[in-house]
Amino acid sequence: MNKKKNCDPSLLNRRAFLATAAGAATGTAIPGALPASSKQFSQSTLQVWSCGGLAEAFIPANQKYKAKTGIEIAYTGAFASALGKSLLGGAKTEVFAGRVLGLAQKLRDAGKMIHFKPLCFTKYVLVTPKGNPAAIADIKDIANPGVRVILAPDASPPGGDAVAALMRKAGVYDQAMKNATVKGSCVQRTMEDLVKGKGDVSIVEYRLTRMPLFKDKTEIIPIPEDLFPPAPLPFTIGVMKSAGDKQLADDYIDFILSQEGQGFFESAGFIPAISDEGLRLSQKLEVQDAG
Amino acid sequence: MPAEAAVSSKPKSRSRALNWRRRLTQIAFTAILGQWSFYGIFRCPFIIPYMSCQNCPVITCHGRLLGMFWGFWLLLPLSVLVFGRAFCGWACPGGLVTQLWSGLAPLKLRIRNLFMRIVPHFKYLGLAMVLCIWLLWGQYREIVPIRVGEFFSSVALTFEHANPIWLVRTFFVLGSAALSLLLANAWCRFACPTGGLLEALRPFSVLKVYKNNKCDDCDTCLKICEMGTRPSELNCTNCCDCLSVCPQEAITIGNPRRKA
Repeated sequence: MNKKKNCDPSLLNRRAFLATAAGAATGTAIPGALPASSKQFSQSTLQVWSCGGLAEAFIPANQKYKAKTGIEIAYTGAFASALGKSLLGGAKTEVFAGRVLGLAQKLRDAGKMIHFKPLCFTKYVLVTPKGNPAAIADIKDIANPGVRVILAPDASPPGGDAVAALMRKAGVYDQAMKNATVKGSCVQRTMEDLVKGKGDVSIVEYRLTRMPLFKDKTEIIPIPEDLFPPAPLPFTIGVMKSAGDKQLADDYIDFILSQEGQGFFESAGFIPAISDEGLRLSQKLEVQDAG
Repeated sequence: MPAEAAVSSKPKSRSRALNWRRRLTQIAFTAILGQWSFYGIFRCPFIIPYMSCQNCPVITCHGRLLGMFWGFWLLLPLSVLVFGRAFCGWACPGGLVTQLWSGLAPLKLRIRNLFMRIVPHFKYLGLAMVLCIWLLWGQYREIVPIRVGEFFSSVALTFEHANPIWLVRTFFVLGSAALSLLLANAWCRFACPTGGLLEALRPFSVLKVYKNNKCDDCDTCLKICEMGTRPSELNCTNCCDCLSVCPQEAITIGNPRRKA
C-alpha cells in the first residue's frame, strides 16, 4: 500500500485532482481488484462518522480505501452537530469528520477525540438558472427590485444562518428577504426550486452545485471570500478515543488527506485542505489541533 | 381416499396453491420495495414518507437512489384502475408483514356487524390527515436525516435526533402494525392512508373478485379472508383467497360490468 504522504502543495493542481478522482472512480468500478495492503491491522472494519455534506466525497473515497486495503468502512454521514452531540454523550465511533472547528475542539476537550487535522473547506456562491435570466453579476444584485430570490432561512445550521450572515455582511439582507419568493427549510430544495426556474438567484455552498442532481444545471457566480462567515467553512477529521486500532484510524486519515483521497473532496466541490488554497485557509482560520 | 373427500379437498388445495402464489409475489415485491418501505418508516425525515423523495437528503434510500418514487406513483394509480386494491394484497411489503403477524392474532374480527361496518372507514381519516399535512402544512423535515449509515446505528440515531411529532407518527404506525398481533390486519384494515386512497379508487377498477347471484350469504368467504371482508366489499384487496372456497361457487374474478 502506498503510505507516502503527498502533502507537498506544489504537487497539487486542479488537473491532478481530477485525474486522481477519475482514476479512483475507475478503480472503484472494478470490484474484483485485489487489495494491495501490506499492513496488518487488528480489525477488518473501521467505523467512520462525518458531516452529511461530505457524504458525496466519503462514499467513493471509502470504496477506494477498501479496494486498496481490504478494510471495510462502516460509514455514517449526517448533520455534524447532531452526531457531535451523540458523541459527546454516549455514542462511539472511531474516526469523526465534522464541520466547524469548535466541534472538534469540544470533542478534544471532552477527551473523546485524540487528535484532528484540517480536512477541507467549503465556499459560498451565487447560483442562477441556466442563462442567468436576471443578469446577476454580483451579490449586490440580489437586492435589486424585481429579482426573485430563493432562500432557505429555516434550513438546519449552518445552512440558513450562514447565508443570512453573509447577506448582512454584504448589506443586502433586508432587501434580499423582501425579494425572496421562496423561503424554505432545505438547501437541496432551494437548488431544486432554482433549477425549475422558481427564482432568479440563490446563495448556496458550491458543493451543492456539484451534486449529480444539480450538476451543470445552474450558472455559478463567485462571492468574495471576505463576506463568508468563518465558522461553517472548515471541516476537520480526527481519531476518536474509542478507535479500536489507532494505527488503522491514522492510516485511513492519511489516505483521506493524501492527494488521491483529497481528489474525491475536490470533485464533490470542496477545497482540499492540502491544496494551496486549503493551506492558506487553514492558516487564516487557524484550523489546527491545539493539543 | 373416498371420492367425496377428494372432491371437498380440491377447492381447499386450489385455494392453498393460490395463497402460496400470492405469498411468493409478496416476497418478490418486498425484495423490490422493501428497503424503501423500511426507510419510509424508520429513516424518512418527513412526516409523510414516500412523497418527497426527489429532495430527500437520505442518499442510500432506494426511493431516491433507484428513482422508485416516480415509477411507483405513476404505476400505483394505474394498478388500482385495473386490479383494484391488489397492491395491498399482492405487493405491499407492510401488508405482508401485518398479514403474517395476523396469523398469530387471537381476534380475527371476521364478522359482519355495525362496528365492523364503521371502523374500516377510519383509514379515510388517516388519508385526510396525510393530505392536510402534505398539501397544507408543507412537508418539513422532522428528524436529522442520516444521509448514509449502518443499518442499526442509523435507525438509533434517527430516533435520537427526531422531533416529537416524527416520534408520534412513527410510534402510531408501529403501534397500529403491532396491533395486528392482536386484531388481525389492524393496520391494513383500519388505519393505512395508502389503503384509504386505493379503497376510494377501488370502485372504478376493471377487474374484481365478486359474488354473483348464487351467493346465499353463508359467509364462508368472510371466514377465510385476512381482511375480514367479502368479495368486492369494503377492504377487498382482490387477494383471491376466497375464489375456491364458496360452496355455491358464487365467487368469480373478472369485469362484473361486462357480465352485467
